[in-house]
Amino acid sequence: MARWSLLLGICFINIVLAVDKNNFKTCEQSSFCRRLRKYQAGDSVYQADLSSLQITENAIEVGIQNTQVANANLKLTLTAIVGNVFRVSVDEIDGLFPRYKPQFALNGEPQVAKLEVLQRDQDSVTVKSENNKATLTAKPLKLEFYRDDVLVTILNGKGLFAFEHYRTKPDEGATDPQIQDDPGAWEENFKTHHDTKPRGPSAIAGDFTFPNAQRVYGLPEHGDHLALRTTQQNNLDPYRLYNLDVFEYELDSTMAIYGAVPIVYAHSAEHTVGVFWHNAAETWVDIKNSKDINVVSSLVNLVSGSKTEASVDVRFMSESGIMDFFVLTGPKPKDVIKQYASLTGVHGLPQLFSLAYHQCRWNYNDQDDVTTVVANFDNNNLPVDVMWLDIEYTDAKKYFTWDPIKFSNPEIMVNNLTSTGRKLVVIIDPHIKREGGYFLHEDALKYDFYVKNHDGSVYEGWCWPGSSSYLDFYDPKTVDYYKKLYALENFKGTTHDVWIWNDMNEPSVFNGPEVTMPKDCVHHGGWEHRDVHNEYGLVHTIGTYQGLRLRSPNKRPFILTRGHFAGSQRFAAVWTGDNEAKWSHLTASFPMCLSEALGGISFCGADVGGFFNNPDIELLQRWYQAGIWLPFFRAHAHIDTKRREPYLFSDDVVNRIRTALRLRYVHLPLWYTLFWEHETKGEPVIRPLFYHYPDDENVLDIDNTALIGHSVLAHPVTEPGETSVDVYLPGGKNGYWYDIQDFQLYHGGNHKISVDLDKHVAFYRGGSIIPRKDRPRRSSAVMHHDPFSLYIALDDKQKASGTLYLDDYESFDYKNEKRYTYLNFDFSNNKFTSSLIDKATYPTEEWIEKIVILGPPAGITGAKLTSKTLGTINLETSYDKESKSLTIRKPGASVLEPFTIELV
Amino acid sequence: MKLNKFYANFKLKCLYIILVLIELSDSKAEVPRPRGVALSRAPLYDPDTNFTCFDGSKTIPYNQVNDDYCDCEDSSDEPGTSACAGGSFYCLNAGYKPSILKSDRVNDGICDCCDGSDEYSGRKTCVNNCQEMGKAAREEAFRLAELLKVGKQLRAELSQEGLKMKNEKQQKLGELQKHKEEAEKIKSEREELKKKAEEVEGKALEYYKELEEQYKKQRAEKEAEKLQQEAVENFKKLDSNQDGLVEIAELQSRQSFDRDRNGEVSEEEAKLFLNNQESVDLETFIEKSWPLMKPFVKIDSGMFKPPETTSEAESEDLQDQEEELKVEFGESEHEEGGEEDEDEDNEKEEQPEEHEEEEHYITYDEETQKLVDLASEARNHYSEAEKDVRSINDQIRDLEQSLKKDFGPDEEFASLEGQCFDYTDHEYVYKLCPFEKSLQIPKSSSSETNLGRWSKWDGPNNNPYEIMLYEHGQNCWNGPNRSTRVKLSCGAESKVTSVSEPNRCEYAFEFQTPAACREVSSAEGKDGDLHDEL
Repeated sequence: MARWSLLLGICFINIVLAVDKNNFKTCEQSSFCRRLRKYQAGDSVYQADLSSLQITENAIEVGIQNTQVANANLKLTLTAIVGNVFRVSVDEIDGLFPRYKPQFALNGEPQVAKLEVLQRDQDSVTVKSENNKATLTAKPLKLEFYRDDVLVTILNGKGLFAFEHYRTKPDEGATDPQIQDDPGAWEENFKTHHDTKPRGPSAIAGDFTFPNAQRVYGLPEHGDHLALRTTQQNNLDPYRLYNLDVFEYELDSTMAIYGAVPIVYAHSAEHTVGVFWHNAAETWVDIKNSKDINVVSSLVNLVSGSKTEASVDVRFMSESGIMDFFVLTGPKPKDVIKQYASLTGVHGLPQLFSLAYHQCRWNYNDQDDVTTVVANFDNNNLPVDVMWLDIEYTDAKKYFTWDPIKFSNPEIMVNNLTSTGRKLVVIIDPHIKREGGYFLHEDALKYDFYVKNHDGSVYEGWCWPGSSSYLDFYDPKTVDYYKKLYALENFKGTTHDVWIWNDMNEPSVFNGPEVTMPKDCVHHGGWEHRDVHNEYGLVHTIGTYQGLRLRSPNKRPFILTRGHFAGSQRFAAVWTGDNEAKWSHLTASFPMCLSEALGGISFCGADVGGFFNNPDIELLQRWYQAGIWLPFFRAHAHIDTKRREPYLFSDDVVNRIRTALRLRYVHLPLWYTLFWEHETKGEPVIRPLFYHYPDDENVLDIDNTALIGHSVLAHPVTEPGETSVDVYLPGGKNGYWYDIQDFQLYHGGNHKISVDLDKHVAFYRGGSIIPRKDRPRRSSAVMHHDPFSLYIALDDKQKASGTLYLDDYESFDYKNEKRYTYLNFDFSNNKFTSSLIDKATYPTEEWIEKIVILGPPAGITGAKLTSKTLGTINLETSYDKESKSLTIRKPGASVLEPFTIELV
Repeated sequence: MKLNKFYANFKLKCLYIILVLIELSDSKAEVPRPRGVALSRAPLYDPDTNFTCFDGSKTIPYNQVNDDYCDCEDSSDEPGTSACAGGSFYCLNAGYKPSILKSDRVNDGICDCCDGSDEYSGRKTCVNNCQEMGKAAREEAFRLAELLKVGKQLRAELSQEGLKMKNEKQQKLGELQKHKEEAEKIKSEREELKKKAEEVEGKALEYYKELEEQYKKQRAEKEAEKLQQEAVENFKKLDSNQDGLVEIAELQSRQSFDRDRNGEVSEEEAKLFLNNQESVDLETFIEKSWPLMKPFVKIDSGMFKPPETTSEAESEDLQDQEEELKVEFGESEHEEGGEEDEDEDNEKEEQPEEHEEEEHYITYDEETQKLVDLASEARNHYSEAEKDVRSINDQIRDLEQSLKKDFGPDEEFASLEGQCFDYTDHEYVYKLCPFEKSLQIPKSSSSETNLGRWSKWDGPNNNPYEIMLYEHGQNCWNGPNRSTRVKLSCGAESKVTSVSEPNRCEYAFEFQTPAACREVSSAEGKDGDLHDEL
């Protein structure tokens, strides 16, 4: 411990109790944000030159000039993309330097759609594609986007569009009207750090107006509510997107943290519209919602009876790169999220184990500790699937090595784990210890794998190992080398059941500006770190993903990453980083992951229990009860905290946590099916209420409630000593919701639910059929052959439907060989039908052992099952008066064969 | 003792006989019963009648027993499948001991019973290794029994030794208590003598007291003068533009005033010395600024060491010096305690240098000196007597404390006190000094970290002597005070066998000792509920 104290003492010498905001820039301290924020709404100085208009089958292209600056020629391209999406790119013509466009966010080049010119005159041109229409007005420059002939968003409607072309440094004394002599334009200091800015100013800004929008969502990752707040008042800085390792980040804040997904969704009952700002540089986003601005005038209007139009303004400001954005015209939340998924991709179906419970701690001390912890879970009948090793497993923080004393026999440890179906996840960070004799460092120097300083020398920063350098994943030869490190013969002690945790990849540099890499560092291809910063975590995980595919070609990789960007979902799960053992952080875990889910990153979770400090026992239990309803479910704790594995507590606590864990495990078939549907349909796994209830004004600001698919509504208890919670159930009086524990029926509306420590506030939606596996097991791997139970929650019309997906739960056979089974369940007219959706089948022994009907019809005395192989057989039913549920005893039918059950 | 040994052997033999019997009965006449049911419960499952759940809640046709569907809330209808969440599965484990599993272990692809009976789905083939396990268990039981036999012998010896030590301590205590009375008597006699001598001396010294007061006053004046002189000198030095004022800029040019050591003297820092003004004149400088500045200026010129760096020894020296001065004037004995008396006597002749010249000018006339000498002698006699009493008290206290310690029901742990046992891992040497403390010493240095001082026995109710707890060790950075739990087990010799740190700053030692070799009262094992199955 003495050693630790020392190291931590050095690292966090001036950041002990909470976030030190002084370490991070405000907009005012960032030259380009300061410059761009000075723009006043009004007539734009930008004009399109329609005489230069060129029209192709899929796009139009037009020149743009800044009327105040000579020779700053820009080119705007508007391209139609399949699925009611427009893409707009603005770049310099013959600029001094090339401008960066993110290379990895998009899931391949988007498929272009046909575009036709509807109308064209001296001052404007209107084009149409699918249900979309766009009108470009020349003087001043303005782009209006229509969906089904309704105006949904306007670019430069407020005249705040900006594009700083690359320029030569003006002579001393000469003024630059665009830069306005901002002292940070050509070099910038922050604290003791100096940014040489060899290319000078290059910022861009796009302003978007969303007429009629009531709310705007998006822009993960922030420790904030789901609905974005108006930033230009109450001294609220713009939402900042700049991946940073923020020690003890604060909540209700627009400060940047680990991830950046530059997508916004403007939402109204009629339309939900998205703008995806495709840029990897530091970005600030100002939000203005008329409802926040018009407080006074709306009071006046209330008296006078007139109503102000709702509207939202969003202004993206980025430090460099081309301007490239996509307008997704919805029209409904479902559609717009799918459009975003079609651009940036989805998380491929994960292995089942990764949806089960993960047990982590910084650190499990040694190999025996790992084995003992799992044995304790088993002895206490607590399920667990994955054990995790944080940085201390390495030999002195050298990744791809093991501590020779504490982990002298990793193979044996891993085999102990896998013998009961468990997996291991170990951490691999992108900083490499600069130590002579460390093969990775020596290879990196020899073959030139590291990120450089602006003068071309290798960049050195300080991280866990002390002096470190950072792998440059922009260099293909680095990635090629890096991915081979995961081969079992190179990473000795690992097996096909060891998976990877990529941390500190913002990247975190303890002694760097804002705890990250200097912006004037240079990556392969000559790109400045400034251009690519927010994408670094993504390229890191791509390298890891490729390495794991290479190592275990027919196993779906599991990677957890902290730094993330648009598109990260294709490679990794994400967690909300180093949270705290506080009730407020438990509360924040829901809006933060819901926001990520809207940003395409469904596989999200928060450290159960809170990373820093010791949770009290009530908080810990509540955190387990909440954590089971987020897709990624892992307990984690800081090295300075007391042990908190659930078996360490008194019997009542162990029982409560066991109940929570089992609730997670019984619902694994639901989670797994939802991830299949996420992959195939682009739907998020967890959803805020407005996703399914877009025209219900009551849900606009609800972010303490998550829908799991469209079947479960979870509203975790996130306050201490609570005896009741207020829950809003959508759907009005025809909305049926069944408490998942006692099956009591609630109708849509506001409810006060009494809670004790055992209470889970969660409901099955009437109208859904939830597949479960009710037999408790010690890990998900050993549930493979267990039968399913179906919970049919009937709606007001006595109907319900649902789906179930299954396969081998781990390989790519579902993709490569179509070995899977996907079932549709339907209940109507007192008849249950199970049918195959696709022809594909996975030869499984899984069968249906039980069907429970919630809100069943009266007078049922039995049931008749009919299938090809079983013929028609009678089944017993039993009605439980207390829970008002009907159980059909042992249908016994295989999931592979269609069957019906009729209630009689 | 012998009886115990016989009993242990008898138990082993019984177990063996029972196991053999089971094997015989198993192969010849198996009692028909559903899968997963213990022999003793077989009669509860009668294939000829309907089955009623044990809790009486439900009656089902017998063919629904073990049909892989859970009908009974108490799980009793599915003893051999995984259908019921709360069920249990009985494995016979012929050749070894039977076990009861949670029903979720049935057909989960993991062999839990040594006879493999929990995996019958055909998906997993288990090897029956009950014979090997039985053999190993019997060998282990034999080894433990042998160890216990040897260990008990040793324990008995330790116990005798402990009892002897206890007796000796008690005896010693008795003696000391007698001595104490005597010593106290001497002490009060000498105190009386001292008091008388001092009365006489006090009267004689009254005149000199006045002289002393005067002297002190003079000295104080001198010092103030010196300080002012210093201040004036420094004022001149600092006032580089000679305008009669010391200003911020003048201070900023001097690194001595960089209090936070950030490389520059900020305005705030400078102002702090300037009575929070832009500048000060000489008068204010002398009064306010210089006293604040002095340490910084002195540090820089190397004349002054900040108090933190003054070692304890040095400051004690200073104290001593002052006390010595007081002794000279015969004041010391009016204070109580005065623990350094002995040293004072020795060092009395070697006077500290600095103050000496000024101190020595008071001399007594011959008669007074004689009275002073007599009084000093009386004081010395008294302090010797007092020292004796104290020493006896200390010994008594130590003995009483030691006698209060719980060295086990038979004093068997007593001889461990005063010993230390080392354990070395790759980084540290750990020391366990039973009933005193535990320590961690890095191999690379000799600095000890205290991992806890003896607190109490902390084992479970049926064997409190299984765990030793050491608490209130050195504080952890950003954490609790270090503590150590020592788990004791029977071993032929006393040694620490492992050290770990399961929680930050909470250490766990394993310690083997013959003192722990005894049979623990029953109601311990979890197998207890299996006995009725046999």
